[in-house]
Amino acid sequence: MTQNLDLTDIQGNIVKAYGSFGFFKARYLFLRVDNGDKGRDFVAKIASKVTSAERWNKDSAPSVTTNMAFTYSGLQALELPTASLVGFPADFVMGMSKRKAILGDDGPSDPEHWDKIWQETVHIWISINGKTVEDIEGRYQWIMQQIDASGGVALLKGHRGEDAFGNPSDDLPYQEASILYEENGSPSSKEHFGYTDGIGDPVFEGQTNNEKRVIGRGKLTREGGWVPLATGEFILGHVDEAMEYPQTAPRPDLLSNNGTYMVYRKLHENVGTFNKFLDEQSKVFPGGKELLAAKFSGRWRDNGAPLVHTPDEASKAEWDKKYAAADVSTQKRMLTDFTYNEDIEGAKCPLSAHTRRINPRGSLEYGVKDAFNTPGALVNRRRILRRGLPYGKVKDQASDDGNHGIIFMALNADIKRQFEFVQQQWINYANDFKQGNDKEVLLGNHDAEQPGKVVFEVEPGSGKPPHFVNNIPRLVETRGGDYFFVPSITALKMIAGGIIDPT
Amino acid sequence: MGFMDTLNIFLKPNSSGNATALTVLCPIINRVVDGRSSADIVRERCLRLPIHEKSPLAKVPNTYLARIFILDNVFYESLPGSDSIFNFSEITSIFSDKSRIGALPQKDQLKSKYLVFSSNFHGDLDAYLRGMWDKWSYDDNGQQRDVRYIWENCVAFGGVTDSSSFISYMKRCQLNSALFFNGSTDDSLQEQLKALYLKQEFSKFAAAHQGESAADLQQAFKVFIEQVQPSNLSGPSWEPGQSKP
Amino acid sequence: MSNIAGKAYAMNVITPIPWYKAWLNWVIFKAALLVPNVLNGLLTLSLIHYARWVIIPKGKFPHLDASQPKEELKYSYMLFFSNFNGSWDQYVDSFTFAIPSGLDLFWKMNVRYPKSVPLTPFHNYIQHNQIDTSHYYNAYPMAASNDVKSAKNVKKALIDFNSASANKDPDEFLKDYHNLLNQLQHDFGEMRPTPIVSLAAQAVKERYSAEH
Repeated sequence: MTQNLDLTDIQGNIVKAYGSFGFFKARYLFLRVDNGDKGRDFVAKIASKVTSAERWNKDSAPSVTTNMAFTYSGLQALELPTASLVGFPADFVMGMSKRKAILGDDGPSDPEHWDKIWQETVHIWISINGKTVEDIEGRYQWIMQQIDASGGVALLKGHRGEDAFGNPSDDLPYQEASILYEENGSPSSKEHFGYTDGIGDPVFEGQTNNEKRVIGRGKLTREGGWVPLATGEFILGHVDEAMEYPQTAPRPDLLSNNGTYMVYRKLHENVGTFNKFLDEQSKVFPGGKELLAAKFSGRWRDNGAPLVHTPDEASKAEWDKKYAAADVSTQKRMLTDFTYNEDIEGAKCPLSAHTRRINPRGSLEYGVKDAFNTPGALVNRRRILRRGLPYGKVKDQASDDGNHGIIFMALNADIKRQFEFVQQQWINYANDFKQGNDKEVLLGNHDAEQPGKVVFEVEPGSGKPPHFVNNIPRLVETRGGDYFFVPSITALKMIAGGIIDPT
Repeated sequence: MGFMDTLNIFLKPNSSGNATALTVLCPIINRVVDGRSSADIVRERCLRLPIHEKSPLAKVPNTYLARIFILDNVFYESLPGSDSIFNFSEITSIFSDKSRIGALPQKDQLKSKYLVFSSNFHGDLDAYLRGMWDKWSYDDNGQQRDVRYIWENCVAFGGVTDSSSFISYMKRCQLNSALFFNGSTDDSLQEQLKALYLKQEFSKFAAAHQGESAADLQQAFKVFIEQVQPSNLSGPSWEPGQSKP
Repeated sequence: MSNIAGKAYAMNVITPIPWYKAWLNWVIFKAALLVPNVLNGLLTLSLIHYARWVIIPKGKFPHLDASQPKEELKYSYMLFFSNFNGSWDQYVDSFTFAIPSGLDLFWKMNVRYPKSVPLTPFHNYIQHNQIDTSHYYNAYPMAASNDVKSAKNVKKALIDFNSASANKDPDEFLKDYHNLLNQLQHDFGEMRPTPIVSLAAQAVKERYSAEH
């Protein structure tokens, strides 16, 4: 790697997806600051336990992690100087609920339907990740002691979920999250629709020493290889893909360097609607239910095999054999090492498939040789780090009711240019894919009054017609969230010390 | 590229196939009327033009996309210098303050303000300008306005009394394109709108009739063709400026 | 009222260029039209309906009669008009990343033009020299440039298919129909109004609609 990052200064959740280190459980707390001085003292206490991005080996990994982030109102409540506050970007200042028109959070996803907690003003986010619930509980109790002792911060309630007795409540004090488990009890990386999730997270410079991890996850070179993305796409204070420092960094440097922005979104999954939709559509889709589900996503549900390499049952069976026999490192590579170069038409992986929409790789060049400066010219600046986990359990596969979905967290240096752009232009719209307004099947904000469709392409000149997936219902609903600033460890301590000064 | 195409790059700089670019800068009379400058009057009238299907340009045949703005003045380039192109002033500036100051961008001033009209349309310029004179029309709070309402504060526009003099006037204000890039088609507007209508309707048809038997489909298709009349440009279609499905 | 009309954005940029370089710039523009590869990147981006550059030599601002003072300018000027799809940011970004050398080629002789990479100085250059539109008309607010081009394909294919196959035997008809759909498989995107790229523009639009 060409870059050495101050891993001890960067918060761990930025560089690591804790889930892949065995931290299968999480708890997210949201707080309000009522008094500046006391709020800062509280931040100082928590900061002493915040987990950095330091590399772990077998013995040095902690049993529980803690990270902290702030909304704009939170930074105001902690009395950051105005000269610093004015340097934050408009999207972060407004907060996620005010950006609903851009994000497509309408109808059932409208903020008026969000968990009660989001009707309040959220200031601080604290995450606890652990291997077991007991590990988490220990750290949680400690944090609660700090809150009680502080006299200046309050834990906000109002999360929808199940209480300790399994009864539904809309007033819980924190958001639980956890990986899902297979029927035999082994941990899975699936989410509630049955898709294997968490594949293909971007890799940036300085993040890992393991070159193999970059394949399929960095940016494409003209020669067809992969190199890491510029660090500045994900961490402030580092050069980004536009050959400059992110302009979303407020002053002073010590406040913004090694920090980033986090999008937190609670996404409820309409499992009943999804299953019904999948069943109905399979009746008219030539290829079977699992292939149809794979076409929605771009990957097969069971193991995430990319459609570009496994466009039908036969090739999938081949791939499965190889995968089962491969070592972990080769398996990872099989999952991510692909482009759409051999599939510009979309016959293998539809242009509206989820993974193709959120990361088109080099395909926006449409096969025109050397049209752009680099094949990923239109994509490299639209990547996000994903750090979330599923929440809840599905009790009834035929129902949408209940509390189950994904806590989606995206980390990026520029919320508007990265997360919001993908959400608005590539998920809820399709001009870059030359598909008009056709929304992505799984995450799109499909209109109940006038539902839309997507087209699954086929081999050109094959005489076969493309397949239409009609009347797509809304499968995912936003239940809450906001935009947060994740400071470096240094910045955390300076905020806590009240010594931020951009003079 | 054919010989005529190559020649046309020079002979017809405002054309790309049958698509035409019109750029006019019309000087605005420098005067004050009832405490308001003519330029501000023109600007306000432009800002209040109704949009989309209600725009007067929706009535001017063959207009693809067009815009109007007022050019108040040129900008002073108070921007950082670049280290890319070497100038001798880079050396002389070290020794002479006068040289350093002299190497800064110069301040420029326009003596008049200009009404800038930039249009992309299909076909012949004279026909288009005639269309502007004859057809430009919109409702301004109950009053119907024609093209003169926007242009009447421009220098020498008083001499424009009919389509012929309007065409001459606009040609006097016209500037040629150094590069006219066509990223779309050069069909007539009617063709474009009909095609868009057909794309929308046929997409709906194809999605709705998926999986039907050959006989049913063929029957439905014939009905569809009767409804949409693909070759009839005056038949059902999108309206110019149509903003809702 | 705004730079946006449906899915299109109207950008107007005016920049000074030393008069002796303006001629060279004109030659470069003509050369770009003669050598099609230069515009390849622009065509692949497919975000643009129509765009143009206009060079106004310093003595050539339209002068209509004696009552109008003659301009006395130190620079010649380049005007750039674009009709493109997407937001301002998306457009400028896509140029900087997809065809930075092409941009430099067209603008580099203009006064104080920074190169197109890094991004922010280039953003600032365009923003500094951009003039807002007072009225913008788009004959098809619901259609992006991609849609207009796609529609042309659909119309032709549909008419050809209708005359060749509409009256064949049902099974032959079906076969030809499937071929038609296969041929047009990338042209079936539905067209609806634009996503809201600018909250400010949206607010103005809502107030306007309420009044009209």
